[in-house]
Amino acid sequence: MNNTAGRTIEITSVTKVYKNGQLEVPALRGVSFSVERGEYVAIMGPSGSGKSTLMNVIGCLDRITTGSYSLDGTDVSSLDDNELAEIRLKKLGFIFQGFNLLARTDAVKNVALPLFYAGIGARERTEVAKAKLLEVGLGDRGDHKPNELSGGQQQRVAIARALVNNPAVLLADEPTGNLDSQTSEDIMRLFADLNAGGRTIIMVTHDEEVAAHAKRVIRLRDGLIVSDEATAGRF
Amino acid sequence: MIYFDEAMRVLLANKIRTLLTITGLIIGVGAVIAIQVLGNGMSGAVQGILGGLADNSFSIIPNGQQGDFRKAQVRLRDIVAIKNTVPNISEALPLAITRQVVHAGHGHSPATVATASQQRWAKAEFAYGRNFTADEVAQRGAVCLLSDKIYQRLFPKGGDPTGTSIHVADKRYIIVGVMSPPKAGVLNIQLGGDVSLPYTTYMRDLLQGHPLNGASFYVSDIPTMPQTEVAVVREMKRLHKNAAGIQYFTFDKKTFNQAIGGIFGALTFVVSLIGAVSLLVAGIGIMNIMLVSVTERTREIGIRKAIGARQGQILMQFFIEALVLCGLGCGIGLIIGLGIGFAVDQLAIVKLTGTAPNVPWIQATLIAVIFASVVTIAFGLYPAFRAARLDPIEALRYE
Ligand SMILES: Nc1ncnc2c1ncn2[C@@H]1O[C@H](COP(=O)(O)OP(=O)(O)O)[C@@H](O)[C@H]1O
Ligand SMILES: [Mg+2]
Repeated sequence: MNNTAGRTIEITSVTKVYKNGQLEVPALRGVSFSVERGEYVAIMGPSGSGKSTLMNVIGCLDRITTGSYSLDGTDVSSLDDNELAEIRLKKLGFIFQGFNLLARTDAVKNVALPLFYAGIGARERTEVAKAKLLEVGLGDRGDHKPNELSGGQQQRVAIARALVNNPAVLLADEPTGNLDSQTSEDIMRLFADLNAGGRTIIMVTHDEEVAAHAKRVIRLRDGLIVSDEATAGRF
Repeated sequence: MIYFDEAMRVLLANKIRTLLTITGLIIGVGAVIAIQVLGNGMSGAVQGILGGLADNSFSIIPNGQQGDFRKAQVRLRDIVAIKNTVPNISEALPLAITRQVVHAGHGHSPATVATASQQRWAKAEFAYGRNFTADEVAQRGAVCLLSDKIYQRLFPKGGDPTGTSIHVADKRYIIVGVMSPPKAGVLNIQLGGDVSLPYTTYMRDLLQGHPLNGASFYVSDIPTMPQTEVAVVREMKRLHKNAAGIQYFTFDKKTFNQAIGGIFGALTFVVSLIGAVSLLVAGIGIMNIMLVSVTERTREIGIRKAIGARQGQILMQFFIEALVLCGLGCGIGLIIGLGIGFAVDQLAIVKLTGTAPNVPWIQATLIAVIFASVVTIAFGLYPAFRAARLDPIEALRYE
C-alpha cells in the first residue's frame, strides 16, 4: 500500500458539470490539490459550493468531467464501474451525513456487508464486524437494528462499516451534520484516534469547531478552492 | 447463503404481497401438474381397459347413422362367408348382448348376457374353472362363464360355483368358469357381458330373430390386420349387394388407442396453452413486483454500491429474490397440483377402473422446476439488471 510519492490522492484541474437536459450546472470549475498518507483534511465552504460533489469524486462514486484524479498512483477516470466498485470496497471508507445504514439489518450485519462483497466467509465476517464495533465503542450493540440506536450510535456503526475492509482513506461528508454537539465531539475524538493510527481522513463540514479537529482546511466557493492551509490544531 | 437469507427476509417482510405475487404461478403450475397426474391416471386406466381387448382381433358393426340401417345388418351367414373367403381370419364371433334375469339357487339378478368364443376369453384369468372348450362352442354346449361382478351378486357367500347351474329365460346353463376380478376395474366388464355363452348356444336360445350387433374377427397375422379389416368391409358390403350408402365401422385396440390418444392430445394441448398463458401472466406479475421492489429499494441499492458492491453482486441479490419467489410459487403449485390430481385420481379413476394410482412424481417436479427457472430468467432478470445498473450517486439521493 506504500506509494513512492507518498501521495495517496492527486486531484488536478478537476471540473464537474451536471447536465440536466439543456441546463448545465458547473459544480467544480478546476480544482487541484493533493493529499498525502496520514493527513487529516477538512473541506469547508458555503452550501452549494461543490463540497459533496468533490467528496463523491474522491470517493469514486461519481466521475469527473475534465481533469485528472489519481488514487494511489492509479488514474481513476479510466476505470470501469466494477473497477471503481473494487476501489470503494478495498481502498476507501465512506461516511455519510445520514448514516446510510441498511434498515431492518442489525449492526453486526451492516458492518459485515463490505466483507461479504469482498468474498469473506460468514464466520470471519461476523468476527471481524464484532471487533470493529468494539473498536468504535459499540461492542454491546451488535444485535441492534438502526432504529434501535441513537444518531451517534448509528454513525459509529457506519464508521465501523467504513473501516471494516481496512481502507487507507476515510471519507466523511458532514459526518456530524445530524448529531448534537456532544455526540459530534465524541465522533471527532474517534476520528482523531483513527488519524493518529495512520488513517488518512478527508471530511466535509460547515462547522468551524468540527473543522478545527483537522490538520488542514480546504475552503471552496462556487466550485473553486479559495484557500488551503494548515490549522493550528486543538490537541 | 446471504442472498437467500436476504431474499427470504424481504419476502417474509411483505407476506401478503409475496403471496399475491405468486398466486398466478401457484394456479398455473397447480393446474398443469394436476392435469399431468390425471392424464397419467387416465391413460393408465385406458390401458387397463384396452388390456381386455385382444391384439389380434377387430370388430365390425354397421354404421348407425346410415339411411336404412336394417339393410346393413350383419347376419350369421355373412360372418360364415367372410370367415371362409377372407384370408388371415382364424375365428369369427357374432356379437350380441341382451339384458336378462339370471337365477342361481334361490337368488336372481338382472344381468347382461353376451356371446363369446374361445378366443374371446383366451387371455382372461379364472378364479374358478376354465374357459370354454372348442367342443362346447361348436356343439352349442349349455355352459356359461360368469364375470366376477355377477358371481359376487349371485353367490354372496362365495365358494366354487362351477358344476352348478344358472337359469336364463327358463334354460339351464352349467357354470364352467368364473373370471378373476378385473385388474382394469369396473369399466372393463362393460366390454363383455356379465354372463358369457358360447355364441352358438346364444344364437339358438336367445337371439330369437333379433339382429346381431356385429361381428368380431380374430386374425393369425397381426401386422396385416389392417388389410384384413379392409377386405372384411369390402366383402361385407358385397354380401349386402353394395346397396347405396351402406357403411360399416371397424375398430380394434389400435383405433381405440388412437381415438383416446387424440382426446388426450387435445386435452394436453389446451392445458399446456392455459399453462403457458398463466406462466406469462404470472411472469409479468412477478416482473412488475420486482420492478416495484427495485424502485422502493433504490436507496438501499445506492448504499450497497457505495460500500463497494459490484454490479454482478446486486444483480445476484435481485435475481435470487426472483428465484425464491418463483421457487416458492412453483413449489406450492406443485404440492397443490399433486394433491388435487392425486385426490381426483383416487376418487374417480381408481374407483372407476381399479387401476393402481400412477403419480408421475419426477415428471411433475421437473415441470415445476422448469416453470420456476423459465419465469425467473424471463421475468426476473430484467429488474435485476435495472438494479445492477443504477448509478450509485443517484440511487443514494433517491428519497
Ligand atoms: N445531480 C445534480 N444535478 C444537478 N446539479 C447538481 C447535482 N448535484 C449537485 N448539483 C449542483 O452542484 C452544485 C454543488 O453541489 P454540492 O456539491 O452538493 O454542494 P455542497 O455539498 O457544497 O452543498 C450546486 O449548485 C448543486 O445545485
Ligand atoms: Mg453537501
